[in-house]
Amino acid sequence: MALLAVTDLCVNYGEIEALRGFSLAIEEGAVVTLLGANGAGKSTTLRAISGLIAPRSGSIVFDGKPIAGLTPRTIVKLGVAHVPEGRRVFPGLTVRENIMLGASNGNASSAAIRREADAMLDLFPGIRPFADRLGWTLSGGQQQMAALARGLMAKPRLLLLDEPSLGLAPAIVQAVFKIIAEIHQRGVTVLLVEQNAHMALNVATWGYVLETGRLALGGDPETLWSDERIRDAYLGGARVKAAK
Amino acid sequence: MGFFLQLLFTGIGIGAVYALVALGFVLIFRATSVVNFAQGEFSMVAAFLMVVFAVDLGWPYWLAFLISIAGMALLGAVFNLLVYYPLRNRTYLPVLISTIGASIFLSNSVLALYGSQAQVLPGWLDTPGFQLGPVYLDSQYLIIIGVTLALVAFQYWLFERTLIGKKLQATSQDKEMATLLGVPVAAMIMITFVYSAVLGGIAGILVAPVLFVSIQMGSTIALKAFAATIIGGFGDVAGAILGGFAIGVIETFGAAYISVPFKDAFAFLALVIFLVVRPQGIFGERVAEKA
Amino acid sequence: MGGSAIGHIAYALAAAALVALAATVKTDGYVANILMQATTYAIAVFGLSIVLGLCGQINLAQAAFFALGAYCVGLGTADYHLPFWLCLAGGVALAFAAGAGLGLSTLRLGGHYLAMVTISFQQILTVVLINAIGFTHGPDGVSSIGRPGAFASGQAYLALAVAALLITGYLVWRLANTRLGRAMRAVRDNELAASASGIDVFRTKVIAFALCAGLGGLGGGLFAGGFSYVSPDQFSFADSIVLLTMALLGGVASPIGSTIGTGLLILIPEWLRFLKSVSGLYLAIYGAAVILIVVFMPDGIWGFIGRLFRTRKRSPLESAEPLALCPADSGAPVALEVRGLAKNFGGLMAVDGVDFQVRRGGLHGLIGPNGSGKTTTLNVVTGFYRPTAGAVLVDGVDVTALPAHKRTIAGLGRTFQNIRLFRSMTALENVVIGAERRGNSLVASGHDALRRRARSALGFVGLGDRAEETIPSFSYGHQRLIEIARALAANPTVLLLDEPAAGLNSGEKKALHDLLDRIAAAGLTIVIIDHDMTLIAGVAKHLTVLNFGRRIADGETADVLTQPDVVAAYLGAA
Repeated sequence: MALLAVTDLCVNYGEIEALRGFSLAIEEGAVVTLLGANGAGKSTTLRAISGLIAPRSGSIVFDGKPIAGLTPRTIVKLGVAHVPEGRRVFPGLTVRENIMLGASNGNASSAAIRREADAMLDLFPGIRPFADRLGWTLSGGQQQMAALARGLMAKPRLLLLDEPSLGLAPAIVQAVFKIIAEIHQRGVTVLLVEQNAHMALNVATWGYVLETGRLALGGDPETLWSDERIRDAYLGGARVKAAK
Repeated sequence: MGFFLQLLFTGIGIGAVYALVALGFVLIFRATSVVNFAQGEFSMVAAFLMVVFAVDLGWPYWLAFLISIAGMALLGAVFNLLVYYPLRNRTYLPVLISTIGASIFLSNSVLALYGSQAQVLPGWLDTPGFQLGPVYLDSQYLIIIGVTLALVAFQYWLFERTLIGKKLQATSQDKEMATLLGVPVAAMIMITFVYSAVLGGIAGILVAPVLFVSIQMGSTIALKAFAATIIGGFGDVAGAILGGFAIGVIETFGAAYISVPFKDAFAFLALVIFLVVRPQGIFGERVAEKA
Repeated sequence: MGGSAIGHIAYALAAAALVALAATVKTDGYVANILMQATTYAIAVFGLSIVLGLCGQINLAQAAFFALGAYCVGLGTADYHLPFWLCLAGGVALAFAAGAGLGLSTLRLGGHYLAMVTISFQQILTVVLINAIGFTHGPDGVSSIGRPGAFASGQAYLALAVAALLITGYLVWRLANTRLGRAMRAVRDNELAASASGIDVFRTKVIAFALCAGLGGLGGGLFAGGFSYVSPDQFSFADSIVLLTMALLGGVASPIGSTIGTGLLILIPEWLRFLKSVSGLYLAIYGAAVILIVVFMPDGIWGFIGRLFRTRKRSPLESAEPLALCPADSGAPVALEVRGLAKNFGGLMAVDGVDFQVRRGGLHGLIGPNGSGKTTTLNVVTGFYRPTAGAVLVDGVDVTALPAHKRTIAGLGRTFQNIRLFRSMTALENVVIGAERRGNSLVASGHDALRRRARSALGFVGLGDRAEETIPSFSYGHQRLIEIARALAANPTVLLLDEPAAGLNSGEKKALHDLLDRIAAAGLTIVIIDHDMTLIAGVAKHLTVLNFGRRIADGETADVLTQPDVVAAYLGAA
């Protein structure tokens, strides 16, 4: 049974149809990447799964339980953590405090959470020196690391990552994706939304391509990457035109 | 010199009251973006509760204090549910007007229930004060300053040293992200309102023996607390506290050296000057908030 | 709410009748007092309907402006024995100036600040009125206030006040449909879009505020003459709140609402006089009522009634003239040039030294992956962000120092990624606002010419027969088209479109493609940001590609889209 099964999901923002009947399935232990141009509906998919937006129709089933329309608090307690686009590290709190807040879906004591946060920082040596610096002073890459660490504190079975490479220099992107691979190794299932198809398909075990709210392509990474249509999804039919 | 020190003492004393009210006001603003025009009424209601329990019913001071504070906590909770919650998704203007309505409701309910006669609340201690060199230290002012410093320390401890304080801060900084992590945002906002009402209440009970307990005391204090938050830098906690002290001192010195009847105008004059010259206040809006 | 000729005549007749009634029907002193209070308060509330109802700005000091007028008349006639009319005019002018001064000093800041400044002004004025005893008589107040000779009797004076009410009511009612009124409503609905349509937002707000204050002064001046006595306790913060509540209860957007609200809140306490027996009870209920009104009836009574009876108007099928588009052409080959543009957000270089030139005529695409700085660049070009460095030239003219609304006047037009229309207005009104930007040579002055141009623009985008419908009744795709029509009505030289295809289905995108071709055929230069490459490749001849705030490619569309670094920017590595 798939860990997460999304079926015929339709999500509207007011009048705009952001998702028009999208389906995907994620096996436990996989890294599934959701690709597509901006505005294709990738972030919307994650927001619907984590409960920030209620779908108009369709179903989302996590670990056998239907979760469509539940509150974000309930869903994160069930084991789905969402690291949203733009990182959203709390600017006025330190890195350590940000990470500690990642455990807000549980009932552990403050001391226990502090120990866990310490242990988590061991996984992210790049930001350990900044543990007591305020969030807003960190660079984009450091904030992304902090946001990932914070997301892992929820001990999720499924981690939703929204455009972790956004606005980051290529070298930093490499470092971030290395961490994503390590997260995968630790047994966390990952649903990764990305614009950077190359890096995403390198780390993924399966991929979907969205185009204006609908599924355009799906398959294993090698097949997807060599499929001409993936370029079309981003760059339009220009490649065809150019050949004329 | 002695006169100067005396004024300074008095100014800091009354400034402490403004600082407490300003703190409650800023906390609500940071958590919910609401400008709470009823903040002063929290002080006024608490003072009247004290009069009822300590004076009219003759209960022991400490007991009346606890009951009054409990009443304020309840008021803060009700305020959250009736005045803020139904409007939480609207723009700032309906909410602002709603808090104005709450302010009118509270002050006139007290008027209707209690009457318009100003009341007297005795101070905490029986000794009126003592002389220290050239300065006469009024005991109630000493209590005001002491309690305020204790509350500021508590505020610091709560926000900087406890997990719940972090959750409260997170709610202020990014509500949606806090929700995603599992922070119970609605509960955090409720705590904020309750805490702010209690702070306002304590301020009212502290200052009541120094002024008369009257229906209008709330609005005068609140407006000066607003001035304090702007002078300190709108939305900044430390700024609100320091701004409160500053307003107290400005006003006291202004009354003594310039003109007593126009005392109340000084706070507002300072406010207008700041708004024109340096709207971001002494501390400005930290870059953190913009991130 | 236009106003046909019949409507105006009917109003004039009714007004004349009311004034005649006021002048002749004898009422006892008590009723006369109530009417006088209601009339003068209503004039002040009209002021609030301008600043809050039309323009969306808060004023918590209306009682202070009322006091300025009242004391001008009071002190002027009683102490200085000046003629009534002079004092009244002085009061209005003083209040107007005070409002303008307050507005100028704080309207650039956010709404909270304005609220606080107005409260502060109110408080300071109250303190001055009470304490400057030598000048203002302090708490004793001013008595023996004079009246104009011709209206000395109570009856005649009441008729004068009623006449003033009806005249100002008419003017305020008409204001909504003047250019200034439309500008105010635009500012209320969407400040950014108002700027982009060429409206000076700050100036509009200050004028609204000053007008509100002036009307407050007028009401106060008439009040003083009516009651012959004024004192500071009549003009406190609580009274400002009472005035505000009257505005909200009736419906803050219209003078009719204001009158209803004022009437009710003066009459109700009389009917409910028993409530006043317990002092405070009446006002406590008042306060609760404010909350309830704000929560359940945000448009007030009149707004509520208006909504019940709103009908969807189908405009008569007048054939619209074809839209004339004559973009300015100074002869320079480049319609838009961006040189060395940089924008730094507190350490983040969102745009880092971008140059490109947009040749006249045709479509130029500005593309790049998410976060590459395209929208920031667009916002800098159109004047919504100040650049950290660099220059923007439109048709050869350097516009870098101009604020957004002046760039519109200089020939830039734009649409927004998140559609920014004036939602309380009809499609036609939205487009009229675009058309009436200063310097639009294609529109003769006069309301009819503006409406014709607006109809042409709506017809050009295919929505001519729905001009009189309000925005919420249009689909998202159609709202986009209205936004484009609004920009076109201003006859821009360069039209900048920020993700016009976002949220459109494929049918709507096809229609957009056709529309863009037609606009280009008229000679306009278009710059388009979008992520839909099929659309971009189909319409744009030239592309500039940004990544990480820098330009990485610039040239003919077909070439650019096959460049390896462009492909890599979008997909990762090639």
